[in-house]
Amino acid sequence: MSVVFAVNRPGSLRSVFLAVLVILSLLLSACAGPEVVRPEGSVFFPPVPNPPRVQYLTKISSSTDIDGKKLGGLSILAVGDTRAEKPKPIIKPYGITVRNGKLYVCDTSPGRLIVIDPARKSFEFLKGNYSFGKLKKPINSALDSAGNLYVADTMRKEVLVYGPSGNFLRSFGKGMEMKPVDVAIDGDYLYVLDLKSHDVKILNRKNGKLLETIGNDSENKHLLSMPISMDTDSKGSIFISNMTSGKIINLDRDGHLLGEFGKLGDGFGQFGRPKGLAVDDQGRIYVVDAAHQNVQIFNKEGRLLMFFGDPGLPFGSLNLPAGIDVTSEGIDLFKEYIDPTFAVEQLIFVTSQFGPAKISVYGLGELKK
Amino acid sequence: MGQGMIIWRVVCKSAVYCSLSLVFLSFFTNMATASCITGACHQELQAFARLHDPVAADECLSCHESVVKDHPLKKGRSFKLVAEGAALCVECHDSFDPAAGKLHPAVADGECLVCHNPHGGGSVGLLRAAGDLKVICFECHDATSFEQKFVHGPAAAGVCFECHLPHQSKHKNLLLSDSRSLCLRCHADLVAGLENSAVIHAPLNESDCSVCHEVHGGSFAHLLKEDGQKLCFTCHDELADKYKRAKTKHAALYEVDRCGNCHSPHFSQHAALLPEQESVVCLRCHGKDDFKRSHSLANVRTELAGKEHLHGPLTDGKCSACHDPHGSDFYRLLVDAYPESFYAPYSKGVYAFCLSCHEENLLRFPETSIYTRFRNGKHNLHYTHVADPRKGRTCRACHQAHASNGPKLVNEEGAVFGDWRIPLRLVLTDTGGSCSPGCHRRISYDRENPVLKK
Repeated sequence: MSVVFAVNRPGSLRSVFLAVLVILSLLLSACAGPEVVRPEGSVFFPPVPNPPRVQYLTKISSSTDIDGKKLGGLSILAVGDTRAEKPKPIIKPYGITVRNGKLYVCDTSPGRLIVIDPARKSFEFLKGNYSFGKLKKPINSALDSAGNLYVADTMRKEVLVYGPSGNFLRSFGKGMEMKPVDVAIDGDYLYVLDLKSHDVKILNRKNGKLLETIGNDSENKHLLSMPISMDTDSKGSIFISNMTSGKIINLDRDGHLLGEFGKLGDGFGQFGRPKGLAVDDQGRIYVVDAAHQNVQIFNKEGRLLMFFGDPGLPFGSLNLPAGIDVTSEGIDLFKEYIDPTFAVEQLIFVTSQFGPAKISVYGLGELKK
Repeated sequence: MGQGMIIWRVVCKSAVYCSLSLVFLSFFTNMATASCITGACHQELQAFARLHDPVAADECLSCHESVVKDHPLKKGRSFKLVAEGAALCVECHDSFDPAAGKLHPAVADGECLVCHNPHGGGSVGLLRAAGDLKVICFECHDATSFEQKFVHGPAAAGVCFECHLPHQSKHKNLLLSDSRSLCLRCHADLVAGLENSAVIHAPLNESDCSVCHEVHGGSFAHLLKEDGQKLCFTCHDELADKYKRAKTKHAALYEVDRCGNCHSPHFSQHAALLPEQESVVCLRCHGKDDFKRSHSLANVRTELAGKEHLHGPLTDGKCSACHDPHGSDFYRLLVDAYPESFYAPYSKGVYAFCLSCHEENLLRFPETSIYTRFRNGKHNLHYTHVADPRKGRTCRACHQAHASNGPKLVNEEGAVFGDWRIPLRLVLTDTGGSCSPGCHRRISYDRENPVLKK
């Protein structure tokens, strides 16, 4: 129709353009489907016209975001140790573990692990991070049922174990020639993801004895390819993100391949550089992509559900994201940020290595009915 | 003229005057005592058992007025009605406000005489028929539904006013009240059940009885609109296809009361309108010996009686967790695939029924430390028994389906193997066990310290 219009009235390019624009806008509005009423002011994903399922809640980048204390002005009258007054920043976070309402954040550059307790408004560095327990490059952590903290240190090439109060207890891995990048606990088993050997080492959680190696054995040769992050589901099966294959591999403790999904690419459900991975209590799998700079959520069959955190937003975008953890506990602690029309069922914590938001907090849920 | 002549004249004149006087007297006497209906003309009106009040009061002129002096006329009428149609009636009777409810079309059209006699009738309301009102109603309404095999009592008796108002109603079809309340006026035996039952058939709550029942008459018992399952499938259409095409059919669905063999139509204390707990309903047929049939149903009641361990769903009284009572494409109405034969090597999907609840990876790997406790070290003994490509044994070789005195529903009585029941003789330890069934010598297994194969 627009072509006929142009032929009949040569030179009316502007009119043609307007006609095309009107038709396109009509077509697009027809494709938009039913209108979804969204609350204003809050940042939601996915974009309209889809109903909102993830809300960006807040960020945590320093102790100020937790305890509310800000750096005071320079005082010539100040006496004693003024360092206590300074806010403690998060420099370059990688892995994050959320358990019992506390956040355990591996801050790679300064070689420290931060324990954040939003309920108590405390922001503390791991107590045992000195001497034999000194971290060099902590990258991921996990907690066992007793509250012991296991930290994968890629520079020390060990897994360091700290007690519930934060004191250093022991380290595992010396002599194993590994580069541990992630750890997970399953009962008495400690899973260590080894970037160097492209496998998962299963250790006795209590004594560090190597029991088995899975993921790169004779049955599953080269199954893992630069594995970088892992998590276990409620049944104990292991999901592993692989940087160079772009695949998410699902293994059981015996090393059996239970399933896989994903590949390298920039399409939906594909990965540029998959990093952190978490599985929630409903079996949904969350995968951070450092190249796409977003998080993609899959169901347990590996079907893409949605993605969020892409760059370009004033709030809620990720900036070279790395680690992720998901919990259904402690949602009330972030109640003040949750839109009153939105019901959150899972809290999602994602670390960004750069930018003003070092830990972005999101809520997965749906509009209240 | 003589005196006699004078007397004669006086007598004659007196006779004439008397006669004339009698004639006038007679005329005026008649004028004073006779009316329109007692007179010779309209006496037929006296035949009515009940007379219209103006008629009884001889107030014909309240409805009729004279248009010419002479009455009767040989041709034409000397009287006319003082008003036409309902306009005449409402001079005495209340009129109907159309806003107050739906009007009977005859009332709306002002055609009162469609149903009423103007002068009298056999019953209250001066209806044109007494007793069986159908005579009047059928002049306009279709009689077909009243001529069916089964007819609703009031319809058969022609007492239409038991359910309908004749002039106006706020309810559809000029009903006396809403459909459900109307039905329960007579079918009071349902009232208590409807008030006290946990589950009510949806039409009774959301619609009315006429969703399932004909109101006047029908071809099917209980005045149902359709025969048996066909009626149910008008709403429960998801079952219709299963009913037709299921490879394994539930006999109860195809006999006598069909759906009604298992479900109550109106209300129940149990889910799915079952009259009793699900397993109790099932055991009514599947819990007895039937010596009349050469291939009688298994007596599951005896399988369950006194057993220490029941299959999980049965502990909740549920059979439908495993069996689909409406039909299935699988053996024994199971909800998913399970082999019918004693031997069936495992492959994906063959044991979908069992593995939909039990660990899905149970039979997937020859070695495991996770998916079964029936293993020697990591050697998966479930896999060994079931996934053997030559002679994979089905679950029934070792387990009971419904109940057992052994843990894990192990079949202590032995699996049926032709005429023989294979003894199992399983002995459990904290970390393993052993068995010496009819299949092999006693073999032990241990999860923590694997037993070496001899």
